[in-house]
Amino acid sequence: MEEKKQCKGCWGALPFVIGFVAAVIAGWVLYPDLIYSKKTQPVNFSHKVHAEQGMVCADCHTFRDDGSYAGIPTNEKCNECHSDVVGTNPAEKVYVDKYGKTGKDVPWLIYQYQPDNVIFSHKAHESLECTSCHPDMAKNDVPPTYYQNKLSGYSKQTMRMWQCERCHAENGVSNACHVCHK
Amino acid sequence: MGLDRRGFVKFVVGGVAGTLFTPVIWKGMDDAAKWSQNWGWIPRLPKGERKAVPALSKLCKSGCAVKVQTVGGAPFAALGNPDNPMSKGGVCPICAGSVQLMYSPARVAGPLKKVGEGKYSPIKWEEAEAMLVEKLTPLKGQDGKIAAISGDETGTANEVLSALLAGLGNASGYCAMPGEMLTATRGVKLMGGAGQPGFDIEGADFVLMIGADALDSWGASVANQKAFAASHPTGEAATARFVYAGPALNNTSGVCDQFVAVPPTATGVFALALANALISVGATCSAPDFADYKALAAKCTPEVFEKATGLKAEVLKDLAGKIKAAKAPLVIPGASFGQGSGALDFVAGASLNVLLGRVGQKGGMTLLPAAPKALSAAADRAEAKDAGSFMAQVATGKAAPAALIVYEANPAYALPQAGDMTKALGNIAFKVAFATYMDETASLADLVLPAPHPYERFDDAMNPYGVAKPTYLAGKPVLAKPVVDAKDPVDVLLAAAGKLGLSLGFETYADVIKAKAKAVGADMDTLTGGAAWTGEPKGGSLSLGAAALAKAPAPKADDKAVALAPLSKLACGTTELACPPADLLTIRDTELKGKDLFVQMNAATAKKLGVAEGNKIKLTGGSGEVKALVHVNEGVAAGTVAMLMGFGHSAWDQYTKGKGDNIFKILTVSDEAGTGMKVWAGSTVTVAKI
Repeated sequence: MEEKKQCKGCWGALPFVIGFVAAVIAGWVLYPDLIYSKKTQPVNFSHKVHAEQGMVCADCHTFRDDGSYAGIPTNEKCNECHSDVVGTNPAEKVYVDKYGKTGKDVPWLIYQYQPDNVIFSHKAHESLECTSCHPDMAKNDVPPTYYQNKLSGYSKQTMRMWQCERCHAENGVSNACHVCHK
Repeated sequence: MGLDRRGFVKFVVGGVAGTLFTPVIWKGMDDAAKWSQNWGWIPRLPKGERKAVPALSKLCKSGCAVKVQTVGGAPFAALGNPDNPMSKGGVCPICAGSVQLMYSPARVAGPLKKVGEGKYSPIKWEEAEAMLVEKLTPLKGQDGKIAAISGDETGTANEVLSALLAGLGNASGYCAMPGEMLTATRGVKLMGGAGQPGFDIEGADFVLMIGADALDSWGASVANQKAFAASHPTGEAATARFVYAGPALNNTSGVCDQFVAVPPTATGVFALALANALISVGATCSAPDFADYKALAAKCTPEVFEKATGLKAEVLKDLAGKIKAAKAPLVIPGASFGQGSGALDFVAGASLNVLLGRVGQKGGMTLLPAAPKALSAAADRAEAKDAGSFMAQVATGKAAPAALIVYEANPAYALPQAGDMTKALGNIAFKVAFATYMDETASLADLVLPAPHPYERFDDAMNPYGVAKPTYLAGKPVLAKPVVDAKDPVDVLLAAAGKLGLSLGFETYADVIKAKAKAVGADMDTLTGGAAWTGEPKGGSLSLGAAALAKAPAPKADDKAVALAPLSKLACGTTELACPPADLLTIRDTELKGKDLFVQMNAATAKKLGVAEGNKIKLTGGSGEVKALVHVNEGVAAGTVAMLMGFGHSAWDQYTKGKGDNIFKILTVSDEAGTGMKVWAGSTVTVAKI
């Protein structure tokens, strides 16, 4: 009689365990796919091709005279080499026909887009390697898929505040609010 | 083994517990927090390079040299241009909010054709321009049938307007909105001189402003403020003394070293009584009419002064002593609201400069040579008819234009006896308004043509009133394309001229300004880069204007009426522009309460009128009446009611429409004895408690 009761208690926990495991699997495996929409860049830009030409990040991603970071190069910059199609890559033709010649800016999807209340200065971080924070794009032949959070609108890849804070803490830099939020 | 109710509950509880070990809740909360900050109504600037682009903002009368701050090519703020001598880094309260005004909901978005009372239909530019030509064509060559009113005091656009009218055989129809410039130029003529007067505030060590609100709304106010600031360094002794003699404590008198409360009806008497006091302490000059002047001034005895101003005669003695002790005194005559005073009021004030030997001297009054023209067929700016006088003629049928071109002006709101002026506009069959904003005049026009905002156009400013030296500024567009479907009015007029068979020698306003710069001797690129061209004032002497002053009538006493002192605060807008939304917070609780405007008077005047703080009153004058609340303020001259300009708009936007009342409705136009000029600075009103 006593043995039967113990056995029933063990089986009795099974629904709980199943629910628990199912929720954990759904939360870690299915949920991320549900909350992000996948987008591709308007031009299939290859960083690798450009790196193989001997170019470095700063050739296109420049600082302005006032020290602010230009970010994505403008059509004017791209047109220095691609005012017309010079290679065989179909992506180049897309750029030239759709943007370079029409004067329309390429609507690049910015992986690291931050809200307006974040003041990040690339100039202050100039001594660091680009790859300290960004993926090593020199090896990247196809632009990574852009995952956009359906609720917040931000990119999955954008840097989070805790990442900034951790690096600041590890390097003895202040984490006071006003350092990044003006 | 089946799943019973208890088992199902356990499954759900397990699921909830499991969820706590996943990112679902925590990530969801984080994302929701970020989502909650994505408010769609927050203006977002594009990411891009930040630049400071030199520009000329002509939203204020004198024009401000600014540096428009842009990011990614989009303007977001305007700051003063430190490299420009007219700005020295300063900016007026209107131009400080100029970028917001570029995006104002009151802007005319595209050409509009009137289709009914207060109803407009959007039309294409081609149709609008064709309509303009069609309406002007039958009137060509009929003098008096086409008129134009310009609200721009300084632009070469006036030359185009004037030359166009002359070419169409309607030279007499060129009118300008009232301002100090026309009055002063006529005053100089009465003193035997010619040209626009200037005032070297920077070089003076004693500045007496009689009425002229020089540190807020009069003349090149930013340059004036910079001169004041330079003479009043923080923590150090002032190197110049500034005295304001005017009807009420305003922004100018608020910072001056001394304020003398003079009713607007007594500025002439004040000036002549001061002349009398100066002569009595030894002031003399070599002007040929000194003897006559001395005799005239002698009539303004301390008793006459006290009766006219309500002040003690000791004030005069004190002022005369200070002026005599100064090395470089300067007197600036004007009206407290920059218009409406007569040429004789100007002569009375300016004659003090002649008496003190301050004409043509450093820190004194100067005379500017006539500016070279870009269009030879254009009339001189001083030859323009006063729009107030012209519209009075239209009201009485003495003038009967069939077409009126309104350029950057708002005569329906900002002419004295505004009610009559609005009715008179109805007598004109076709009215075309070149307007940046849907103001009261545009709301009456048959055709509304949107003008670009200053940052979307070429424009220039020649000799803003008050500058001591010939001064020329020019600006080019900051934006490649206007934010609305606007076209430069001058470009439109030049194209219309061509279609009317008239060649003015230019196709665009940019070309006109280039020609103007060349004629002046300035470099266009340097000017549009933010610099100013300055020349030298011309020499010459002036008489004391005794012959003209002798015709000035003696002030009349009227126990039933009180003097009306319009007060101008640049932050509350101009005659052409309603209060910018950015400046609404500068309006005090004692100036506007809800939709009711306050009028100010001192306690003695309030007692005389039988009113008290907060009472609602009706002021009647001219051909209209306004309602307001009473605010007792000892900073107002005796027997005077002071009222702010810039309120009571029936057009514009939600921020300004229907707030307060329009003082122009109760200003009374009268003829100045001896000159025939229309004046309204000494208006009186009757007050009744309601």
